[in-house]
Amino acid sequence: MSLLEIDTLAVQYHTLHGAVQAVRGVTLSIERGRAVGLVGESGCGKTTLARALIGVLPRNAAIAGGRVRFDGADLLQLSGDALNDYRWRRIAMIPQAAMDSLDPVYRVGDQLVETMRLRGGLTSPQARERAERLFALVGLAPGRLRLYPHELSGGMKQRVVIAMALALEPQLVIADEPVTALDVIVQHQVLRTLRELQETLQLSLLLITHDISVVADLCDDVVVMYAGRIVEAGSVREVFAAPHHPYTMGLRNAFPSLRARSARLVPIEGYPPDLASPPAGCAFAPRCPFAIERCWHDDPALLPTTGGRLAACHRAAEADALRTQAPQAFARLEATGPQSVRSGAPPAGGTL
Amino acid sequence: MNRVSFLLGRLLQMVVVLWVVATLLFLIFRLMPGNPLVAYIDTNFTAEMQQTLLRQFGLDRPLHVQYAIYLGNLVRGEFGRSFFSREPVSQVMWQVLPNTLVLTLSALLLAYVVGVLGGALLAARRGSWTEAWGIPAVLATRAAPEFWVGMLALAVFSFTLNWFPSFGATSPGSVYPNWWAKVVSWDFLRHLTLPVLTLALYLQGLPTLLMRSTMLEVMDEDFITFCRMRGLPERTILLRHAARNALLPVVTAFALGIGYSIGGNVIIETVFSWPGLGRTLVRAVAAKDYPVAQAAFFLIACVMIAMNFVADLLYTMLDPRVSHEQQ
Amino acid sequence: MSSSERAAALPQWTRATSTWRDALLVTWAVARRDRFALAGLVIYGVLLVVALAAPVVAPYNPQDLNYRPDGEVAADEVPSLPHWLGTTNLGRDIFSQVLFGARAALVVGFVAAFGVVVLGTLVGLFAGYYSGWVDTLLMRLADVAFGIPFLPMAIVLVAFLGPSIWNTVLVMILLLWRDTGRVIRAQVLSLRTRSYVEAARVLGASHLRTMFVHIAPNVLPLSFLYGSLAVGWAILTEATISFLGFGDPNVISWGFMLQDAYNSQAMARHAFYWFVPPGLCIMLAVMAGFFIGRGYEELLFPRLRRR
Repeated sequence: MSLLEIDTLAVQYHTLHGAVQAVRGVTLSIERGRAVGLVGESGCGKTTLARALIGVLPRNAAIAGGRVRFDGADLLQLSGDALNDYRWRRIAMIPQAAMDSLDPVYRVGDQLVETMRLRGGLTSPQARERAERLFALVGLAPGRLRLYPHELSGGMKQRVVIAMALALEPQLVIADEPVTALDVIVQHQVLRTLRELQETLQLSLLLITHDISVVADLCDDVVVMYAGRIVEAGSVREVFAAPHHPYTMGLRNAFPSLRARSARLVPIEGYPPDLASPPAGCAFAPRCPFAIERCWHDDPALLPTTGGRLAACHRAAEADALRTQAPQAFARLEATGPQSVRSGAPPAGGTL
Repeated sequence: MNRVSFLLGRLLQMVVVLWVVATLLFLIFRLMPGNPLVAYIDTNFTAEMQQTLLRQFGLDRPLHVQYAIYLGNLVRGEFGRSFFSREPVSQVMWQVLPNTLVLTLSALLLAYVVGVLGGALLAARRGSWTEAWGIPAVLATRAAPEFWVGMLALAVFSFTLNWFPSFGATSPGSVYPNWWAKVVSWDFLRHLTLPVLTLALYLQGLPTLLMRSTMLEVMDEDFITFCRMRGLPERTILLRHAARNALLPVVTAFALGIGYSIGGNVIIETVFSWPGLGRTLVRAVAAKDYPVAQAAFFLIACVMIAMNFVADLLYTMLDPRVSHEQQ
Repeated sequence: MSSSERAAALPQWTRATSTWRDALLVTWAVARRDRFALAGLVIYGVLLVVALAAPVVAPYNPQDLNYRPDGEVAADEVPSLPHWLGTTNLGRDIFSQVLFGARAALVVGFVAAFGVVVLGTLVGLFAGYYSGWVDTLLMRLADVAFGIPFLPMAIVLVAFLGPSIWNTVLVMILLLWRDTGRVIRAQVLSLRTRSYVEAARVLGASHLRTMFVHIAPNVLPLSFLYGSLAVGWAILTEATISFLGFGDPNVISWGFMLQDAYNSQAMARHAFYWFVPPGLCIMLAVMAGFFIGRGYEELLFPRLRRR
C-alpha cells in the first residue's frame, strides 16, 4: 500500500467572481521512501494541493470533494485533534515562503524547541538536545540556534525550516518551491541536502516546483500538473525520456537543461485556462499543437499507458510519433498564436 | 547602526527638541503684549520701585543675557516665583505633578488593557456584525470632545445619581498624613473615578484600532501560516505569536500615549477641576502668571519627550530587528 | 504600519491620477463604495447648508437676550415651542446658537485643514524632492513639531496672539502640518525614482514643474486623506480651545456654547438640552472627517480593505 493516496481531490476558492476550481480531481500516490516531483506552471494548483494535504488552506478555500488516504487513514474524514495528530508528526511541510516562515521575535532555536515540546511531547532539555542534532543534520552550527531569523541568511533560514520539518520525524515531507528565493548556488546546496536527508532518513518527499530540471536531478518519480489536473505521472527517467502527454513534451522543450545544447528553446504559447469557468474538454487543447476535434469537448481521463505510467491524453497511444514532431509543432504554434475554440486539429501540412 | 548609538542619537534629538521648546517659551513669554510684570506691578508703584522690581526679575538686562539666565535656571529646575501666590514655582509643580501622573497612568493602563483586548476581539471577529459597528463606535469615542463627555459624566453620575463628587482630588477639609495615605484613600479614589474613566474612554480608541489592524496584518503573515502547518495550538498561535508581534506597535504607542495624554490632560483636569499640571497651565495662562505657565508647559514637554524616548527604548527591546532596520 | 511603510505600500493606483481633476473624482469613488464615507459626506453637506442658511433659518439672533411676555428675561427656559432647545442662563436661544455654531465649525475645520494640508504637502514635496540639507532641515523641524505638546502649545500661542478665530486657525496650521509632511515626503521619495519622473527631468522640465506637474498629482490622494482627518481634528481643537476659555468671544461656536454651559453650572441644573446638542454636533462633524478619511484609506490601501 502506498503511503499517500489521493483520489479525485478537488479544492475550490470562493472569490468575488465565483468559485475558482484550483484543484480539479487530482489523483496521485506516493510510495514510502520515494521522492516525487510535482511540476507545473505557477497557478496550476500545486501549492493549493500541498496546503490541502497538510490541512491549512487559505481562508477562502475549501475542499470540494475526493479522498486523501495516508497510511490507511482517510484524512478528510478526520477532524480536530485526530487530524492534528497527522499534521507535522506524520506529514511536514516546507512552505513556499520559507524565508518568511519564522517568527521574527523569537530565536530560531526556541521556535524549534517550541514545536518539539508542544507537538512532540519532548521536555525542554530533550528538545534542546535534539535541536542541536537537527541543526547538525541540515548543516548548521549549533551556535546558530541562538540567533534571530533576521540574523540568518536566506539559505540558513531555509535550512532552519528544513530542520523544523524533520523535527518530529515525519514520514512525508512536502517541499513547496523550497528554494525559489535563493540564489542559484545556494539553491543547489539546499536541494542536495534535502535529497540526502530524504535518502538517509527514508522519508517520502513531495517536491513541488516549476523547474523540471530540479525534478530530473533529485526525484524518483514525477507528476505533471496542468490547470488543476494531473496530466502525466511516472518515473522520472521514463517520463522525461519519452513523455506521453503533449504538455510534458512542451515543458521539455521549454527548459534548457534537459535539451541538447544546440536545440532551440520553445516556450509553450498561450496561457492556462481561467479556472473560474474551466473548459469542457481538455484544458490544454488551446495550447496543444496536436489537439483533435474530440479534445475540445471530451476531457481525457488519467489512464495507464505503457510501462505502468499514467497520462491524460486522447492521443497517448500515438505519443511516440507526436514526440518527434513536437519541437516543430510547438514552434509553429508559437508563431501563429494559440488556437481559438473548436478550430479542430491544426493542419499538419501548414497552411499560410 | 547598533542599538546603543541609535538610542544615543535619539537622546541627542530629545535634548535638541527640549532646547527648541525652551527657546520658544522664552520668546513667547518675553514677547507677550505688555510688560510681563504688568499684572504684578501695582499702579501706585513709583517708577523707581518698578525699576527695582524689574532688576529683581532680571528684566532690565539685554535679551541675550536674560536668555542665558533663563536657560541656566531651567537646567537647575529653578522656575522663579509665581506672580500671584509668591510661592516658588517648583513647589507648585511638585504639588500638581503627582496628581497628573496618577490620573494619566491609571487612565492609560485601563485604556490599553481594554484596547488591546478589544482590538484583538475585533480582529478575531473580522467581517462580523461586531466589527461592522464596533469600529464606528470606537471612532465615535475619538470624535466626541473629551470635555463634553466629562460634562455628560458629571451631569449623570455626580449631579443626577450622586455617585461621585464633581470636582477636585479630595473632599474639602480632608487632611492626610502623607501622599500615599491620600492616594489610597477611599475619598481620593472616588474623586479619581470619573476623570479616569472619561480619559480612558478617549484613550482606548488608539490602542483598539491599532491592535486590530496590526493583528489582522500579522495573522496574514507567512510565519503564522507556518505555525498552523506545524499544528501548534490555536491559543499559542494567537497569543504567543500573533498577539506578541501585534503588540509591538501598540506598546510603542503606549509610551507615546503617555506623552500625548499629558498634553491632553489639560481638558480632563479642567472639566473635573483636578489639581494637576494641565489645569495649572490653563489657569496660569489665563491669569498671565508667566513663571507658573512656563514651568507647567516645560514640564509637560519634558514628560512627553521623555516618554517618546521610553517608546524608542521599548521598541528596541521588543523587536530584535530594530537595530538593522534603522534608516 | 509606520507612515513611511504606509506610503511605500501605496499601489500603482496613485500613478493613475495623472491630473488634479482625477484626484477630485476619487472622492466620488470613495463615497460610492463605503456607506460610512457617504454618511460623512452627507453630514458635511448638511453642515454646509445649515451654516449658509443659519441667518434665515435661526428663529433668533444667537447673541440676543430674549424676554418673556411679562418683560422678564427668558433665562434658563426649558425646551418649548418658541425655544426648541430652551434658553441659556442669560436668555439666549440655544437652538439658534447651535445653528450658528455650524458656521464656526465649518470655517475653522476647512480653512485649518486646507492650511495644514497645503503646508504639509509643500514641506513633504520639497523635502522629498530635494533631499540633502533641505530635507534634513525640514524633517528636523517636523521632529521638533512632534516633540511639542500640541494642546498646551495651542493654548499658549492663542493666548499670546490674542483670542480670535483666525489665530486659532493659524496655530493649528503651524502645529499640525507635521503628519502630512512626513507621509508626503516618504511618498515623494519613492515617486522621485520612477521612470516617468526621470523622463520629465531628462526632457528638460524644471524642478518646480517636475514637482508640481509630475509628482504633486500623485501625492494628492494622500493629502486628501490627511486633509479629511485634519478637518475633524481642527473642529475638535477649536471646540477645546473655546471650552478652555481662549476662544473668540465674539463668535458663537459649539465649544463656546459648552464653555458657557459649563461655567453657568448647567450640569448641576440638569440642563441636558443645553449641553447635549452642541457636543453631539461636534462629534458628528468630527466623525464625518474620520469616516471620509477611512474611505480614502481603504481605497488607497486596498490591502486593508480585503480583510
